[in-house]
Parts: sequence; structure tokens; C-alpha cells
Amino acid sequence: MKSLLEITINTESDIIAARQIARETSNTIGFDKVDQARIVTAISEIAKNIIMYALVGVITIEILEKDNKKGISIRAIDRGPGIVDIKSVLDESNLKGLGAGLPGVRRLMDSLEIESDVGKGTRVYMEKWLR
Amino acid sequence: MELNIHFRKINNVLSVFIEGEIDTFTAPKLREKLESIVISQERLIELDLSKVTYMDSTGLGVFVALYKNVTRENGNLKLVGLTARIKRLFNITGLSELMNIEVGAKVE
Amino acid sequence: MEQLLIDYKQILSDYVVNRKEETLYNGQNYVRQLIQKNVAPEDVINIHRKAVEEIYTELPDSLSHAYDFLIEVMVQYGMKTREHQSLLIQKEELRIEMEIAARIQNILLNTTVPKIDQLDIGMISEPIRKMNGDYVHFLFDEEEDYLSIAVADVVGKGVPAALCMSMLKNGLETLEYGNNDPSYILQVLNRIIEKSVDDGMFVSSFYGRYDVNSSILTYGSAGHEPALYFNSKENAFCDLECKGLLLGVMPEVKYSQSNIRLEENDFIMIVTDGVTELRDCDVIDSRNLLKEIAFSIRHLPAQEMCEKIYLELQRLQDYNLEDDFTIVILKK
Repeated sequence: MKSLLEITINTESDIIAARQIARETSNTIGFDKVDQARIVTAISEIAKNIIMYALVGVITIEILEKDNKKGISIRAIDRGPGIVDIKSVLDESNLKGLGAGLPGVRRLMDSLEIESDVGKGTRVYMEKWLR
Repeated sequence: MELNIHFRKINNVLSVFIEGEIDTFTAPKLREKLESIVISQERLIELDLSKVTYMDSTGLGVFVALYKNVTRENGNLKLVGLTARIKRLFNITGLSELMNIEVGAKVE
Repeated sequence: MEQLLIDYKQILSDYVVNRKEETLYNGQNYVRQLIQKNVAPEDVINIHRKAVEEIYTELPDSLSHAYDFLIEVMVQYGMKTREHQSLLIQKEELRIEMEIAARIQNILLNTTVPKIDQLDIGMISEPIRKMNGDYVHFLFDEEEDYLSIAVADVVGKGVPAALCMSMLKNGLETLEYGNNDPSYILQVLNRIIEKSVDDGMFVSSFYGRYDVNSSILTYGSAGHEPALYFNSKENAFCDLECKGLLLGVMPEVKYSQSNIRLEENDFIMIVTDGVTELRDCDVIDSRNLLKEIAFSIRHLPAQEMCEKIYLELQRLQDYNLEDDFTIVILKK
């Protein structure tokens, strides 16, 4: 198995493919069933956002290894409209945050970073480490 | 409480047909539709109110906002087909002296 | 998580054997631990699944798959439930803020009706929601013997309207001394409001100044519903027509003003459009209705007249008035 996997997200069946790959990868790394479900749910939400806001994008899944620890990273890149106020989409007490479901995704993973240029696109990067 | 809004464009004249009741509940929809107009691209924006059965001051607010936008961008706005009741509203508020308004049915 | 599993397994294995109410009760008390440790719903399922697998060693694989499925569903469900709850919390916060704002508005915009010997004044102002979009302002200058009355109706409702109203009140308070002309006051108010409000927002206002000594009311209107004047000698009403643009639409607007002298038993009724714009009823008809009711109770004191008219119109509209409702009556 390669440690870097790339999936183009354009249709609903791409979401399922990304889920499938995320599940297999996280299983290989050694995540238990519950964490697998969390990682898959996170990738699913991110992929749904791509289809809803940017129409098309790319998700990259990578196996991480650092200081004898293993983990998974998911990177999503699109060229959609971008996010004007990143702080508000991550704020659970804000309506905008709830729209894209990002506060929920952040809770499923260990970390979530967002970079965005309005009109150019959005990059989401998230990690989860094996405990 | 229904409000229908249709656009039709002929010779750079954008006609907006508004049908139904304009009140606190339907005014946001009307505002949203009218805000989507790119004023600079229209020679004339004509609102046809002949099928408006009820309008309160919230509705008036929507038209005032549009009027201000259009004036700011040097566009032209005209309201046509006002019923007597709506015409009275524009008269009392002094808006009929400001805005281009035509009463009664429009001949097509 | 380990200790949680051990405890859960204990309670569960007790229950499958004894099926006692007490064990169920213990199970519910166990929830406290889950809450304290902030355990997610999917983890609870997982604890249950592990406990079941440890208690019954020979479970079919399909049951294990069924648990996987439930965990998957619970991850999503937990996430969405949380989102939904934060929406509810947000809604509640907004409601509380709204209530505080309404209370402040009520204090700020509290109108006191002045008592003067030469003129009987009545007023009713009933908001349709928590915040009133109508505002009545009186000022009685005892030295100059002038009474001024402003009746204003802010288009739009809720918080923006309330803020606009406070601005109007401030404007009125700084302007009103002695005997400024209504046309001048409206002109300045327009300037204040035009500078500070949103495009879709404006105010209609009636402004009158009553000279107690000469019984002359000088009045102007900024896009406001014409006030009604009852001439007791002729037993007839007439509209106090006075043209003028709404406040807040254009930057520099000039207003006109007119005079009317009140005779014994004459009265003036200033209303907002909540009184005359009754749904399914033509404005002309509702104004006529208003005149009829007022005429039938014209011998009552001004305050009682206001209250009676309100009750009667409410009854006629099946207690379903749709706008802020304000009537001011000035009766000589």
C-alpha cells in the first residue's frame, strides 16, 4: 500500500470512494472501529463541502509516522469561492460554522487547519494520531 | 400569503412583475430578488405592481432601498400599474413626488 | 476508558442475570460518569459492544458488524445533535438579548402624557411584538405655554427599528425647546435619520406644536398618515393634509406646516398606520370606521376615547391586529 493516496471529488460516488480508502488506510494504521468511523465521517463531511461549495476538489490521504507514533492526515484542496471569515466557520456558536459542519469535524479529529483565499479556493488539513 | 416575482427583459428594459401580498413575511424575498438586479446593466427597471393585492410599509421600505440604489448608480426606475390603495401609500409618504410612478393598468 | 468499561460490564452482567429494577437504576447512575468524562455517543456504543463481547464469548460475526454499523450511525448522529443543540442555545441567547433590549427600549422610550388644564390629552401605543415601532413624544414648556407632540412610526420592526427610534428620541430632546417650527424640526430630524440609517429604513412622523394661549396647533408631516380633525360646531371630521417626504429617504428635504385653531370640544386624532391599514379593509373604509367610533364616544375624556377605540378595532379585527397601534387624541 502506498502511503499517499489522492482522490478527485466531483460526485457522490467519489465521496464513497474516499470513505472507503480512508477506512482501509485507518484500519491499516491500527485505529479501532470507533476512530475509523470518526475519520471516515470527517472525510465524508469535507468531501460534501467540496461538492456543495466548490463542485470539484482533491482529497489526499497520507499515513504519518513521527517519534514512533502513527497517524493519518487528510488534505482537501478546492478552487471554490473560498471562506471569507474562517474564524466564524470554526465557531460552533456561529450559524456559519454550523452550515459547513466544520466545528463537528474538528472534534472528530485531533487537529484541523483551514487556509482560504476568497475567490481562489480553500485548503483544509487535518490529522489524527493513534493513541 | 404568497408573493411571486418574475423578470422579463426586452430592449434593455427589465420588467419585474410582482404578484401577491407584500408584508413583513414576504418582503425579504422581494428584497433579495430586487438586490440581484445588476443596475448598471439595465437601461430601465420597471416594476409592475398591478397584481399586488396588499402592501404595508415594510414593502415600501423595499422600494425605497431599490430607489436609493438605482439613484446612486444613475439608473432609471419606474413603478407602473399601481392600484388606488398603493398609490395612496406613495402619496401620503411623499414618495410619489420623488419616484417615477404610473397609475392603472399598463397597455401591452 | 478502561475503568468505564469495567464498571459497565459489571452492571450489564448483573442485569442480564437478575433483571432487577435496582440494577437498571445503577445503570442510569452510571451515566453520570459518562457525562463527567465527556464520552461521545459512539463511545458508549463501543463500551456496550465490548462488554457484550466479553460476557458472551461466542457471538456471531454478523452481530459485531451490526455494532460497527451502529457506531458509524452514532458518530454522525452525535455530531448533528450537537450542531442542533448549539443552534438551540444560540436561539435562546438571542431571545434573552431581545428581551433585555425590549426592556431597555421600554425604559428609554417611555412616554409620559403631560397634564395641562387647557387641553385634554389621551394616548395609547400598543406594540405588536416586544418592541414598539411607534413612538410618541410630548414636551410641555410651561414658561412658553407650548405643547409639542411627535408621533413617529419606524418602518421595519424589532431591534433595528428600536435603535432608529432611540436616535429619533435623542434628536427630539435636543431640538425641543421653546417654540421651534414643526417644519424646522422635521427638517433636522430628517437630516439626523438620513445620515445614520440603512437604505430600507425610514420613519414617518407627525409633528405638532400647540399654543396653549391661542389654541392654535401648528403641524407638519413627514410621510405620515394625515391626522383627523373633528369640528364640533359642524359635527364633521376632516383630514389634516400636509405633504412631506418620509424621514430618512433623501438628505435635504424641506417640510411645510399648517395651522388650525381648536374650538371648545374640537379634537385631533393622530394615528399610525397600524390603526388605518387593516387587512382586508380599505384604508378609506378603516378611516371612516375610526371616525364613526370616535364620533360615537366624542363626549368621553381623551384617554378613555383612545382605549375604547383600541378595544373596538381589536374586536372588529378578531383580536388579530397586525401592526404597532398608536392613537393620540388632543381635545379642547
